[in-house]
Amino acid sequence: MNGKTETKERLRLLTVIREEALLRQRDIYPKEEKVDTWPNLVVKELICMLIFAIVLVAWAMFQNAPLEELANPGLTPKEAKAPWYFVGLQELLVYFDPWISGVVLPTVILVGLALIPYLDPDPIKGVGRYAIWNRKFAVFCFLFGFTMWFALVAVGQYFRGPYWSFYWPWESKEIAKQTEVVLTNFPLPAGIAFLAGYFILGLIVPAVAFQNFFWRLGLLRYHIAMILFMMMMLVPVKILLRQAFHIRYILKTPWFNI
Amino acid sequence: MLKPLIDIHEETAVPRRRVLGGVLFWAAWGVVAILGGVLGAGMLRFLYPRALYEASKIFKAGRPESYKVGSVNLVTGRGVWIVREQEGFYAILAKCTHLGCQPIWYEDQQVFKCPCHGSRFYKTGINFAGPAPRPLDRLQITLSSDGRLLVDKGKTVGMDYILKA
Amino acid sequence: MNIFVQMWRSIFRTGFSDSPVHRVFRVMGNFIFHLHPARVSKEGIKITHTFCLGGLSAFFFVVTAITGGVLMIYYTPDVDKAYANMLDLENVVPFGMFMRNLHRYAAHAMVIVVPLHMLRVFLTSSYKSPREFNWVIGVGLLLMTFLLSFTGYLLPWDQLSYWAVTVGTTMAENTPILGAKGPFSVLGPETDVRFLTLGGTSIDQPTLIRFYFAHCIGLPGALVGLMALHFWRVRKAGGISRPL
Repeated sequence: MNGKTETKERLRLLTVIREEALLRQRDIYPKEEKVDTWPNLVVKELICMLIFAIVLVAWAMFQNAPLEELANPGLTPKEAKAPWYFVGLQELLVYFDPWISGVVLPTVILVGLALIPYLDPDPIKGVGRYAIWNRKFAVFCFLFGFTMWFALVAVGQYFRGPYWSFYWPWESKEIAKQTEVVLTNFPLPAGIAFLAGYFILGLIVPAVAFQNFFWRLGLLRYHIAMILFMMMMLVPVKILLRQAFHIRYILKTPWFNI
Repeated sequence: MLKPLIDIHEETAVPRRRVLGGVLFWAAWGVVAILGGVLGAGMLRFLYPRALYEASKIFKAGRPESYKVGSVNLVTGRGVWIVREQEGFYAILAKCTHLGCQPIWYEDQQVFKCPCHGSRFYKTGINFAGPAPRPLDRLQITLSSDGRLLVDKGKTVGMDYILKA
Repeated sequence: MNIFVQMWRSIFRTGFSDSPVHRVFRVMGNFIFHLHPARVSKEGIKITHTFCLGGLSAFFFVVTAITGGVLMIYYTPDVDKAYANMLDLENVVPFGMFMRNLHRYAAHAMVIVVPLHMLRVFLTSSYKSPREFNWVIGVGLLLMTFLLSFTGYLLPWDQLSYWAVTVGTTMAENTPILGAKGPFSVLGPETDVRFLTLGGTSIDQPTLIRFYFAHCIGLPGALVGLMALHFWRVRKAGGISRPL
């Protein structure tokens, strides 16, 4: 490369950098008040870290981690519970077959979470502040899923006893529960109709009722977002169907059941 | 958004070089893709060993006479129940079809109950309550040449399979 | 210069004097503080804005990494020894139980704090452009956190771990298409994803080794890599999000 192109190359680089810097200054980042990281931020981090280090050490000194008997493949304990952070999924296993609650739902949750930034149609609203009332639908969706996850964990962890029967905290877990509820399935056509109706209505009704929302998201975003939303809402719907109407499967086919 | 003000390709690029560069570029990516594919496939295959050091799936379970009619017997260490009925024997895999816990046989109620999620099964292994999606697996059971029962955990059979006594 | 003063100054290069230049140099010249910019937005560092949740996630990870490394000294991933090692840690090794407790509780704390951090990021819309992909990396970090906890659960080889992992891996067996018992399965019990995770058809020695590898090398490595990316992108996106 000769000297001339080298200079041009450098010029070009400089332009790119300068332009990016300008963009940042002008468009995305308005002027703001800044303070020195040392000591303002560093002190806060130190205090935070020390508090939680003390909490951890105290916790570790006064309560021991559980250790049960040696693993025995021939004997399932009376209360076989997953680690508490998976108990929510285990609780869902009451309502769904393992392939849904163990595989499909976690995958959908993770994919849905990862897609959030690409489904949110507004690039600016609420950035950097707790603008909860300006983003009602988004906040509702997230908080609903978040709360449901921890509510299921709480139910599984504190309200389930031997044989995964439901126990109130004041009930003794020694007394076996004899609740034999006869469960029924939707007949196949009813099941197909229910699921199809659920998803089709769930896609059409909001599009008609909230046209502004629909057009802001666009066709693809709207469908992805709403299908994820409807899948999330299917969980409480199924729980309700089971608890109130003793429905075991909405859709029962020879290959899979939902 | 970030557009260079001067395009250096304007002066230097010769069509021949540009084509050569393009070929090299895609060839390099091709090699990367092939290498990645081969290594990835190799890594995946690496996780499936050719031999397993596990307990044999086939085992003998004693003489047929030693089983009482109507009894359900757990072969400890094998995770299999051998059920003796009036007409013969059948073997059930002691693994809940829901999540793989080992159900417990209740003689007084004549049911299998799974501790993990409360699935219930009749003596035949057919599920009737709880979340289990299928009946318990029924295993092939035959009579070996020395007159003892022979169970093969690797072979599941239909729900009507029974070894005539 | 006095030799001790020279040694001291070679390590702590900024001394005790306070001036804007010193403050900047203290941040720029320190390996850990250099994760931060020299000057930060006043709004962004309010405790009620972030609640320190991201930093705490990283802190709890460091605690689990250090205690976990120490625990490796007394632990053998062998089905005949693992449980005995746990008993030794509890009864024979001084501070063994303490280290194990710290490891477990820091892991629990991480599983709580990481989703809370996510909640904070969501509520402040901090996943919006230019931070979209960093949120995706964050979801990866969440997954790694859960997988690390899950794989660690098997290692004590007690009843709790054995049956929890039985339940977890039977779900893998029920995976559609890729699991032997799932809907539309195409793979047999010796090729499906359950076999892949267990290294056999039942939870045994190969499983313990696989989980041990994943828990001590595979997943922490992936987590550290993702963390580095995550922090880097926070800086490149202009630091903590603030009102536009």
